[in-house]
Amino acid sequence: MSEQRNALRDVNSRVEAGWSAVLERVHVAHGVGRMALLLVLTFTFFAVQRPGVFLNPVNLTNMGIAAPEIGLLSLAVMIAMLTGGIDLSVVAMANGTAITVSSLYTAVGDAQGQAAAEGWAPLIVLVGVLVGVLLGAFNGFLVSVVGITPILATLGTMQLYNGLALVWTGGVTISGAPSALRSMGGTAVAGIPVLTIILVLCAVLLAVVINRTPIGRKVQLQGANPVAARYSGISPRSTLMMTYVISGLLSAVAGLLFLSRNPSASADYGSSYVLLVIVIVVLGGTNPAGGFATVLGVLLATLTLQVVASGFSALRLSAYEYAIAQGVILIGVMVLDQVRFRRRPLRRRPGMQDRPVPTPAEK
Amino acid sequence: MSGRLSRLRGPNNEGLLVAVILVVVVAMALSSPAFFTAGTFFALVRSSMVPLIFALGVLMVLISGGIDVSFPAIAIFAAYSTVKWVIGAGADPGPWVIIAIAMLVGAVLGLVNGVVIARFRLPTLIVTLGTQSIFKGVLISYIGSVYISAADLPDSVNALAGSHLLDVSGGGYLHFMIVPVVVVAVLVALLLSRTIFGRSIYAIGGDTEAARRVGIDVVRTQVWLYVLVGALAAFGGMLYVILGRNANPQSIVGTELDIIAAVVLGGASIFGGRGSVLGTVLGVVLVQLINNNLVLLGIPSTWQRAAVGILLLLGVGAQALGARRPNGHSVDVEPPLEREEVAA
Repeated sequence: MSEQRNALRDVNSRVEAGWSAVLERVHVAHGVGRMALLLVLTFTFFAVQRPGVFLNPVNLTNMGIAAPEIGLLSLAVMIAMLTGGIDLSVVAMANGTAITVSSLYTAVGDAQGQAAAEGWAPLIVLVGVLVGVLLGAFNGFLVSVVGITPILATLGTMQLYNGLALVWTGGVTISGAPSALRSMGGTAVAGIPVLTIILVLCAVLLAVVINRTPIGRKVQLQGANPVAARYSGISPRSTLMMTYVISGLLSAVAGLLFLSRNPSASADYGSSYVLLVIVIVVLGGTNPAGGFATVLGVLLATLTLQVVASGFSALRLSAYEYAIAQGVILIGVMVLDQVRFRRRPLRRRPGMQDRPVPTPAEK
Repeated sequence: MSGRLSRLRGPNNEGLLVAVILVVVVAMALSSPAFFTAGTFFALVRSSMVPLIFALGVLMVLISGGIDVSFPAIAIFAAYSTVKWVIGAGADPGPWVIIAIAMLVGAVLGLVNGVVIARFRLPTLIVTLGTQSIFKGVLISYIGSVYISAADLPDSVNALAGSHLLDVSGGGYLHFMIVPVVVVAVLVALLLSRTIFGRSIYAIGGDTEAARRVGIDVVRTQVWLYVLVGALAAFGGMLYVILGRNANPQSIVGTELDIIAAVVLGGASIFGGRGSVLGTVLGVVLVQLINNNLVLLGIPSTWQRAAVGILLLLGVGAQALGARRPNGHSVDVEPPLEREEVAA
């Protein structure tokens, strides 16, 4: 135990040293700094309060297994918010993927036997991911081609995808998942759960896409200033389509994680995630009006809420007390932000001018 | 769009909604003779009452340019805590006093929303997401988590739950609570169309800055709006308790997006400044019509959710396509977001 605490302190001090170095060199992205601070504070608080329970490797591993699916869904909402939109259908898309994989696996297993189903597993997973991408593309179609406001388009598709999942499953929980997925949920590499590694990989990939590729630049400009984006020759149609496809893809991966944690799927799974995920994305410093978001900020917010959730259960507080904390943190951070913001002369406009320039070096 | 057609459509597509409802009704009547009975109608009315009260609150918030997702939490918080307190006190002051107390509790919770939103000018979706968590969490952690069944409810509440306005022998009944629901709907309609307060809400939703320039006290109007919406939500919560003859702290929360969908279907604009009580009533009725009677069309009831989703997409899709026709060149560009609340 003490070894671990030492290692932890070691990591902490190293992170802090690295952090202050970063602070000096670059303008710290809005949201990242305060989330890092909040994460360290909450972690320390619970570690001091209940070191035996909270710092227990089992608890740390559980956090590493529970957080990734929320993290991926948050990233999916984040990229939509980056363009000034939102995606309320992420959980429904993730469930769509999970249900597709589960029912295909069961169907193949029934028809050709268990071994054949395992053999087909990669293809089945691929089909599942494809379903997520297609659902995302449909969102993209509604937003970019038909021109429906994202919050309404995805409110509708959330109902539609969820409704179709209900129709498909008949409203019951279906079970079955390829053994590769199932074992993935319980495996760890060098003490780090595979699911955590998947989240980090996806996050790094997304950060690179957003900050280092033309697509990412277009997405950022589209959110910061749609008119300027259009005059710069950026096609809003393809940019928005790409955004919602990426959102669908990230949700699909989250759906695979659902299955790997628990080899069953239902239309209702994670229905409380929609609002939680929005809380995380906003806490992570994403501007709800678009144009600014950081992957790192959202990751830190995901971890912070996971730490608070685990810490609360370590303190034997209920899920409802956790809900209170969630609300208080959200409103507290927003109010603090606004009070600081009030010092500026003009009220906030969803334009570029009163926002820190997105730094490419977040990840 | 010719003038006559657009007049038939109504300012918020109410005409279109009436047409859709008529089509659905005719289809249902043709496919099942069981549809045109008093029982079906009364069941529709009964199941529409609670959603309608919530929808009226959502409507007012949408008109002001915001989005409220905390109303179910306010509703169950106010209703459950009031009922529990009344039972605990061993008193039975009568259903109307209980409803009044609940509405007072709701108004206080609404005040919390209003103050945070108006004072700090925060995005309404974010604030109400937070307060939803807080209200529900406080309710279950500190006030009570035990289901209160009909046997424990105050006698006067049970008496009201059993009172019918109209009884059709063998054909069901019209619940008495329809009277206060209609009164509330009419009051909200009058408030929105005939009072300075109501017009101010439209003005703020249309353009906050312009509203401020013409001398509307935006902060005060918003605070009162959320107080009112909180009280309305509490009334909806009490209505839910009375109709269901139970108080379950785990209920209601989770239905917020369905209600918002019905209001949007009713023609209210998510950007604020547009929406009507008539449209909202029609939107709620259409959703309930589908939820209650889809089976009559030979469609399994599991399709309810998907059907409402499709309708919502068709509704907002038609609006989006209609909105961009006048100046065809701006097809590709989203309207620039006017306020931070909009995108939230």
